[in-house]
Amino acid sequence: MSESSPSFLERHQFLIYRLFSLAGLIPVGAFLAVHLLTNASILAGDDGRTFQSRVDMIHSLGPLLVPIEWAFIFLPMLFHAAVGFVIIANGLPNVGSYAYVGNVRYTLQRATGMIAFAFIVWHIMQLHWLGKPFGGGRFDPHHAASTAATALQPILVSILYCIGILSTVFHFSNGLWTLGITWGLWTSPAAMRRANVVSIVVGLGLAAAGLGALGGFRSLDVPKARAAEVWTEKQKRALAVPGGAVAPAPIPATTH
Amino acid sequence: MIKAADSAADLVHGAGDHASEGAVVRVRVLRQDVAGGESYWERFEVPYEPNMNVISVLQKIAAQARSQDGRKVAPVAWDCNCLEEVCGSCTMLINGRTRMACSALVDRLQAEDGDEIELRPMSKFPVVRDLVVDRRRLFRGLEKVKAWVPVEGSYDLGPGPRISPEEQEDAYPLSECMSCGCCLEACPQYTKVEAVRRDGESEADFEKRRKAAFDAGFVGAHAISQAVLFNAHPTGRMIADERMEALTRQGGIQMCGNAQNCVAVCPKRIPLTRSIARAGRAATIWALKRLFDR
Ligand code: HEM
Ligand code: SF4
Ligand code: SF4
Ligand code: FES
Repeated sequence: MSESSPSFLERHQFLIYRLFSLAGLIPVGAFLAVHLLTNASILAGDDGRTFQSRVDMIHSLGPLLVPIEWAFIFLPMLFHAAVGFVIIANGLPNVGSYAYVGNVRYTLQRATGMIAFAFIVWHIMQLHWLGKPFGGGRFDPHHAASTAATALQPILVSILYCIGILSTVFHFSNGLWTLGITWGLWTSPAAMRRANVVSIVVGLGLAAAGLGALGGFRSLDVPKARAAEVWTEKQKRALAVPGGAVAPAPIPATTH
Repeated sequence: MIKAADSAADLVHGAGDHASEGAVVRVRVLRQDVAGGESYWERFEVPYEPNMNVISVLQKIAAQARSQDGRKVAPVAWDCNCLEEVCGSCTMLINGRTRMACSALVDRLQAEDGDEIELRPMSKFPVVRDLVVDRRRLFRGLEKVKAWVPVEGSYDLGPGPRISPEEQEDAYPLSECMSCGCCLEACPQYTKVEAVRRDGESEADFEKRRKAAFDAGFVGAHAISQAVLFNAHPTGRMIADERMEALTRQGGIQMCGNAQNCVAVCPKRIPLTRSIARAGRAATIWALKRLFDR
């Protein structure tokens, strides 16, 4: 009976689902946390200087940045999302009949996963250079704060970011809790309750960082930030470091 | 509520029946005459009695075999046995929620959900007739994870090892499972599998195909919990690896989405999510061991 011989996906279902779960935490979840906290540095109140230096640090990876991005962010996220959609398609949510908290969370986990997917695709198209061919890619790492702030100015964009950030953060922090059950980290009802408190705290923290960053960009004084960036640019050019990187490039003699 | 003098219940029981001053219980049943057939709603009305449960209502419906509008209809079919919530056979959807009919009290249902009681067969298993469903997949799940202690042999194995009171206390709640299937009915990850016999297919071929279809779907919280129970038992543990293999096969524990409906609806209050997390931990360790010990 060839029709019932299981596919690759079915034969390795356990392994694939566990890798899916792991990918949600490492590297995708870890990246999410780092990303939101980096963005929150816009709140330093120094016209985006701290934020710019964090961005410079990331971009100091130079040509390595692209393969790192693909290997540790894009591909794991695409894998997690692909398996996630398969899982969603195979389930049959029933909060209508069983409105228990756990069931509401189960349903929200799926809804926010899909919102996160749509949001992240749009977010990348809008700001990441991958979006340049599509008229996006508006983030310029040399003028980090001012370009990000400008892109986020329209009120509709800010509202969509608000929804996107909250969905993604809920998805991650609720996922943290379910992941602990999946892998057997917390097994008793009491341990699950304690873990739940931890995941709520993580979620509130990340939501504060994400929304704080959004507010920080919206209230940024763009001309002043731009001036700060231009000044920093000049300093870097004076040091002749390519691409704004802080790599230990040979410093030419500056005799004057 | 006062019923009309010419209602169906009166026709059956006649005037002067003991029914307490004409109070009635109204029921709406989702019926189906044959497996795979069309389902349809039918309303019934039976005289009210104090302390009725859904089974006693169904018994009255069977006795009168008449719908609310007075038509003579085939009695509604249902499953039950113990009438004290231990056999697990009378599961159905009562006012939209999975529960045991024998412990569903009419007074409480009316107080909580209003006058009319709605009865539907479980939605995750194929209907055999009316409220009777085919729960073979539930038992296939138990078979898949070998939910038993292997003691078969040609000679006396002698007395089993002693089990400490602590272990007994831990295991006892899990042993109370009565295979009612409530946990499966409420689980968003356990979706209906209904294999239909093809023209000219032999019984054996059909059986094989049905088993494969069952095994491709989620094994279910009840089976995971039973695997945990028997893997904790000193003799049952002897085939622990076989159970872990079954739990990590297609349709195994990885299919659980942590909705935790199972534990919320289990009539025996079995700590199913604890079992699932324990099985998850065991699966993590088992998978790592397989990876490194090969
Ligand atoms: C920022 C991106 C994302 C992060 C950080 C993330 C993180 C996580 C984590 C940690 C889990 C818990 C895994 C477990 O319970 O074992 C999870 C579950 C899940 N994710 Fe994501 N995820 C992301 C994006 C997505 C996307 C785009 C989808 C696609 C729709 C998705 C769909 C799902 C689903 C359906 C589950 C539940 C699986 C289950 O409980 O069986 N996720 N996610
Ligand atoms: S916890 Fe798992 S088995 Fe229980 S209802 Fe949820 S998905 Fe189903
Ligand atoms: S675990 Fe509970 S709900 Fe599930 S079959 Fe057993 S007794 Fe019924
Ligand atoms: S008749 Fe046995 S549980 Fe209801």
